Amino acid sequence: MKSLRVVYAIARADFQERVRRYSYLVTLLFAVYLGYAAGTGQISIHLGDYRGLYSSAWIGALVSLVATSFVSLVGFYIVKSAVERDRRTGVGEILAGTPLTRVSYLLGKFLSNCAVLGSMVLVLALAAVAMQLLAAEDRNFHTWALLSPFLLLALPAMAMTAATALLFETLRFLRGGFGNVLWFFLWGVGVAVPALMELPQLDPSGLWLVYASMAPAARAGIPGYVNSFSLTLADKYVPVAPGFHWNGIGWTTELVLLRLVWLAIAFALVLCGVFFFDRFDPARSRTWPCVEPLPEGVPIQAETGASAAPRPPLRALASLTPLASDVRHSGTSRLVVAELRLALKGYRWWYAVAGGLLVAQFAAPLDISRGPLLASAWIWPIFVWSALGTREARFNTEQLLFSCPRILRRQLPAAWFAGFIVAALTGLGAAVRLAFAGQFAGLVAWAAGAVFIPSLALALGVWSGASKFFEAMYTALWYVGPLKQVPGLDFTGSADGPQAFRFALMYLVIAASLATAAFLKRARQLRAA
Amino acid sequence: MKLEIDNVSKTYRGGVEALRNFRLELGPGVLGLLGPNGAGKSTLMRILATVTRPSTGRVLWNGKDIQDDPDMLRNALGYLPQDFGIYPNLSAIEFLGYLAAVKGLGAACAQRRIGELLELVNLVDVARRPLGGFSGGMRQRVGIAQALLNDPKLLIVDEPTAGLDPEERVRFRNLLSELSGDRIVILSTHIVSDVEAVATNIALIDRGKLVLHDTPETLLAGVNGKVWEVVVPSGDLPSLRQRHIVSSTAHRSDGVHTRVVADTIPGPDAHPLEPSLEDAYLAALTAHRTREGP
Repeated sequence: MKSLRVVYAIARADFQERVRRYSYLVTLLFAVYLGYAAGTGQISIHLGDYRGLYSSAWIGALVSLVATSFVSLVGFYIVKSAVERDRRTGVGEILAGTPLTRVSYLLGKFLSNCAVLGSMVLVLALAAVAMQLLAAEDRNFHTWALLSPFLLLALPAMAMTAATALLFETLRFLRGGFGNVLWFFLWGVGVAVPALMELPQLDPSGLWLVYASMAPAARAGIPGYVNSFSLTLADKYVPVAPGFHWNGIGWTTELVLLRLVWLAIAFALVLCGVFFFDRFDPARSRTWPCVEPLPEGVPIQAETGASAAPRPPLRALASLTPLASDVRHSGTSRLVVAELRLALKGYRWWYAVAGGLLVAQFAAPLDISRGPLLASAWIWPIFVWSALGTREARFNTEQLLFSCPRILRRQLPAAWFAGFIVAALTGLGAAVRLAFAGQFAGLVAWAAGAVFIPSLALALGVWSGASKFFEAMYTALWYVGPLKQVPGLDFTGSADGPQAFRFALMYLVIAASLATAAFLKRARQLRAA
Repeated sequence: MKLEIDNVSKTYRGGVEALRNFRLELGPGVLGLLGPNGAGKSTLMRILATVTRPSTGRVLWNGKDIQDDPDMLRNALGYLPQDFGIYPNLSAIEFLGYLAAVKGLGAACAQRRIGELLELVNLVDVARRPLGGFSGGMRQRVGIAQALLNDPKLLIVDEPTAGLDPEERVRFRNLLSELSGDRIVILSTHIVSDVEAVATNIALIDRGKLVLHDTPETLLAGVNGKVWEVVVPSGDLPSLRQRHIVSSTAHRSDGVHTRVVADTIPGPDAHPLEPSLEDAYLAALTAHRTREGP
């Protein structure tokens, strides 16, 4: 009983801390937007060229799938901060000195994660009710058909997201940016594998369970229907299939248990995290030791007592060389170099891969060089870019930096320029190849990409103060753009063909807007408090 | 060289008044800014360091409003915040090099200055180790070094001796004394002994208001003949605390030796003591709170 109270206290405090933040409002607004997008047909389930009537069953399935697909993808990044926040604020160290068990702590955080994601599902459920009333395509309101998908599809999916986010936080190598990128691909695999293997049992999102339920009705009611099913962003009007009648998922005991299994798996993931959770022990959580052994021959310096041996005579203040007034204003180039060093510090094997990709860009055929190789070269430095604009908040150096002269005009542009240099150097091979091939439009597109990436990183970093938003958004954009070659979304320009120049200009405009947004936000931060 | 704080107030969101009509004028020397926790010291430090803007009022550096041109002051400023971070993967040399570039120091000048400062704060032996492995005291010394990078004319240090061992603390006090010759040093702390050691002037702040601004000598003169030692049984200590300001106690075999600040002799066996700055601080704070009410 006492343990339950502790779990509740952890969950409650964490949830309160989150919902009182401005970002939680943004989170709910995102859920409202998703509800609006579903209600206005921007997100839709397609059965071939048709959709179903906006009945309770259809709307319940549609909006709950929006929750399990989009909210589970984005929600991961929203909730993956529960343990990190305690680590950063120092609360974790206080908790570590209490009898709190790892299980209680992680269960509390899991429940808080579930509550945050659950509140988004609740918003979507309310949106679903409003959607049926406003669309008025079917005035028969069936509460169970409308709400059961939220209970049995969305909530288990949210539990899986909540538990995975927590598990990632307990694993040191998944705690940071790598985990953020990995989630995107893991989520994609989670959606694709059940379809490829035709096993709805493997599908935490419930997408294929809905398909398995709708398909027989579609085959019966839609002439020429051949198993086409997608939850997609609709770019044109989709007509209602007149002969299609579907009353919702027929929830059998087996299906309900199938969904509840995901809750059990989520619970197991949390318990799994117990084995990896360091309980805020700095010796286990940092990559550097608290007290690093001194080199041989260096006398140990006492930090806590006055009984240390007398120290050697030190330099007196008077012996400091006075600063001449003319050395106080070095150019921004020195700061750019400093920012570049700071950005690349700590990456040991990073250079080898970046160098290999660069050499390959020079050696491979042009199409390969500016296509997959440039795409690879421009995903590899993602963690270098994601630190732009966030480093000051993350390491609490804001006060030191913000009290320095010309900080807005010098440091922020220098940080951006360091990011641009990383993009330019890692993608240099493709640029040189384009130049030698005389492909001016391609070169402009490459330059636009190199300008766009640090601008996006800086804007998201300065505005959010966290690197995960860039990591998530950039990974998604990189996946659909440079990797999947969707024209217009490929910021490297290789997929844009004759329209490369036009899209390059578009990305330059976007980059300028993003850089301006970063600049304005940082100016506001300097004025704030 | 003059720093004027002209009627500065700061109200945070939610209506919390951290500073109220604060006025102070400073010239070269060390100002010890004393006050209890939550008095508004760190808010004042942040305003003077141009990190935070006042809600009303002005801060003038050599007659010019720092809000109109913060860089004018920032060029002359060294600031050690109470709570600051470091980049854990950088070494002390790299971190100071980065901040030197941010502060606009040239490469050769910065390199020389960093070497000298690392020697000054006794970090030469560990200068190339990642800061992530530094103890709290070592980080604090890196903070002190960064504040001195640009040879500041105005040095603001907020609780600078927190985490330093006694030897380093003495060294830092001496450093502040040396610095004070031709610059303004503002030392914010609630450790009275730090102020006693180095301050040429003292400002006492409580609940966002300036209580007094004077020299340590004048402050001490105010409690001259008002500090006593009284030996009482430990059971009488609570009632003594209710009647008088008790600045320290020490349990001995004959009872509790109590240091009391009182206008009149607190008991028949009391004998007078030489006042300390801590006595003067407590007396001034209590008198202010009695005047102002709860």
